[in-house]
Amino acid sequence: MKTTQTKTKVLTANRLTDGISVWLGANGEWTTSLKDAFLARHEDAVAAITAAGDQALADNRVVDVNVIEIEETSSGPRPFRLRERIRADGPTIDYAPASAAQASHAA
Amino acid sequence: MTVIWTQNGIVENDPWVSGAAEDPPKLLPLAEALEHAQDNAAFGVVLQPADDVRKLEPILDRIAIVALPFPVFSDGRGFSQAMLLRQRLGYTGELRAVGTVLLDQVPLMLRTGFDSFEVEHVPTIERLSKNRLPGIDLHYQPAADKAEATLGYSWRRTAILNG
Amino acid sequence: MYRYDEFDHAFVAARVSQFRDQVERRLSGEISEDAFKPLRLMNGVYLQLHAYMLRVAVPYGTLNSRQMRKLAHIARTYDRGYGHFTTRQNIQYNWPALSDVPAILEELAEVEMHSIQTSGNCIRNVTADHFAGAAADEVADPRPYAEILRQWSSVHPEFSYLPRKFKIAVIASGHDRAAIQTHDIGLQLKQDDQGRFGFAVWIGGGQGRTPLLAKKIKDFLPESDLLSYVTAIVRVYNLHGRRDNKYKARIKILVHETGVEELTREIDAEWAHIRDGELKLPEADIAAINAYFTPPELVDRAEGWGELAAWKKSDPGFADWVGRNVAPHRHPDYAMVTISLKPIGGIPGDASADQMDAVARLAEEYGHDEIRVTHEQNLVLPHVALADLEPLYRALLADGLATANAGLITDIIACPGLDYCALANARSIPVAQEISSRFGDPARQAEIGDLKIKISGCINACGHHHVGHIGILGVEKKGTELYQISLGGSGDENASIGQITGRGFGPDEITDAIETVVETYLASRSSADETFIECYRRIGAEPFKAALYNSEAEAA
Repeated sequence: MKTTQTKTKVLTANRLTDGISVWLGANGEWTTSLKDAFLARHEDAVAAITAAGDQALADNRVVDVNVIEIEETSSGPRPFRLRERIRADGPTIDYAPASAAQASHAA
Repeated sequence: MTVIWTQNGIVENDPWVSGAAEDPPKLLPLAEALEHAQDNAAFGVVLQPADDVRKLEPILDRIAIVALPFPVFSDGRGFSQAMLLRQRLGYTGELRAVGTVLLDQVPLMLRTGFDSFEVEHVPTIERLSKNRLPGIDLHYQPAADKAEATLGYSWRRTAILNG
Repeated sequence: MYRYDEFDHAFVAARVSQFRDQVERRLSGEISEDAFKPLRLMNGVYLQLHAYMLRVAVPYGTLNSRQMRKLAHIARTYDRGYGHFTTRQNIQYNWPALSDVPAILEELAEVEMHSIQTSGNCIRNVTADHFAGAAADEVADPRPYAEILRQWSSVHPEFSYLPRKFKIAVIASGHDRAAIQTHDIGLQLKQDDQGRFGFAVWIGGGQGRTPLLAKKIKDFLPESDLLSYVTAIVRVYNLHGRRDNKYKARIKILVHETGVEELTREIDAEWAHIRDGELKLPEADIAAINAYFTPPELVDRAEGWGELAAWKKSDPGFADWVGRNVAPHRHPDYAMVTISLKPIGGIPGDASADQMDAVARLAEEYGHDEIRVTHEQNLVLPHVALADLEPLYRALLADGLATANAGLITDIIACPGLDYCALANARSIPVAQEISSRFGDPARQAEIGDLKIKISGCINACGHHHVGHIGILGVEKKGTELYQISLGGSGDENASIGQITGRGFGPDEITDAIETVVETYLASRSSADETFIECYRRIGAEPFKAALYNSEAEAA
């Protein structure tokens, strides 16, 4: 007999003032690091984070609030969706400005 | 809380706002308005965004007020309807914006010919009653409002403030 | 180029105050995010995956060195030291704080720039041929008309809440370098047999979920009727465009569903009422705006011919760059220079603040202080003397801006994709980088010749993949990225929408698939002079599909 495993969830949003991606931490504050997010493993916890998200939206602290599913791994929470992994880790490209001394490849 | 606002301030005892629930509606939809025009009393019309305003042409002189709804603020059809009423049909009666009327759209509504506003949004009511509108008084295009052609190009206008 | 007068300065200043007030009301909660969203969009502020994004308008892709320096300064001061030039000739910053945007707009206003209507359901940046004012094949510079449209459309009270975005492009040549057939309104400036100026008018082009090419509805619209006719089109669209479905709301759908003849009848009927009214453009106004676009004084510099020949002989790299990135100017002693923002393996369209400053300096020194942004995410110096090409090249080389690949396979157009964009389903930049690296060898690029690859990370098609010779569309399938290939698209005067080849390719297969397409072309072309698009149009999709999907084993 199998028991259905509900996936662990975290709450994510973007800060209103600067748009930076944030996650709801264990202490109820918003953190810029997914590693520090509060992990909601049960229905009650998910309800609690959802309510916290609604409140933060109403308080004009964040926008675009979403409950997302993560996988608990040894190196921390890992979102299932690629999009959320990119939100957590930043752009997958090295967007640091090209060095001005970089020689171009002539065609 | 619903108020009626014009550039002269909040209107008390607006004749077109229904009082008690059992009062007959004072603003008629298009089809009824076209029938009703036989009677002598001036009446009001409320159109829908998909209505063709030109249908009012034959009965325009009987109409005291036209209300144009903005069901959501992103539905901008009312702006074109207003322009056509003012500029094409030469309608000079009251033109009221109803529905979702928010502060930042009011300056655009004023320019397209609206002169009264039914407002429910509290922060909007507050700003309107202080006459603190967020519009820009320099215009890059003519519209239905009274505005002056300005030195420069033919398409520019400046608002006539205070009158 | 156009210079603000007192009216323009006062307007942008008022606009900045207006937005500052709106931001304050948002931060205080006086207006909700729902109500604020269209307001911030109309000031070019998006919310993306990691941060806000600010899209600054570069009207018809034209700017000067002072403005470019300001863009560099903004990148350094308010962002992370770089910007991204877009497929609509604008620039985007990926990391501004909302609370900083009013200050950024104030700084932009100092140099006559703004972010007005770079997003939202309103009339967007009017784009134009990036070689305008310099190309030999134009009847006249189309940009004065783009400027008139820009002014007229700014905070237009009737057209600020259209069913969807509205994009206009203007050219002045039979060679369409602005992809007008993919625009809501496309305008081609021409002259009648009495030499009077007017426009051929197209409507209903657009990419996205339902790519459609525009239909020509008027052969010659006299220039004085420009504003009244565009008003008639947009008014009919505003009243009748669909509002029930975001993906069916552009004017292209209205054209498709109503029929172009019927819609044109409605437009003409509306136009008849307003044609001779206050929107009629007086000759004096057209002349006054035209005067801002008087070409720079270009002194004869015939010594450039001999010098150029000598430099090319002594430096093959320089010769390659001239061959690819330098195009003939109306004045024989001058040239139009494309500054590639596509370094091999680099991020298409990005420029660092240092690079922006470098371009500004070079525009002043060698380019008569004029810079253009192309819709293919490169920059242009439209007026460079042949005699100055070599020192210009040296300087560009030092700043990583001399990649000699204009129009070649590594001159890839790519949207920001899932690395940045909240709308995306897949990443586009890493795909562009890998393809660029794979084909980076100059000899190989030269062998392949003209080939435009355009990559979009979602169906919104900001990478314009539908009109790529090779288009790549990133989708999401079962939680992973998948890339669909389309072939045979083109955005020039012989416009066409690309055809999907078949099933998509994973991130680790896509570059090989592109290689297969290229190899098929090289094996099938009738001569080295037959370009990819010519070859595709001759042989069709089948040979490419067969190569992509039917061959399982290595050729014996």
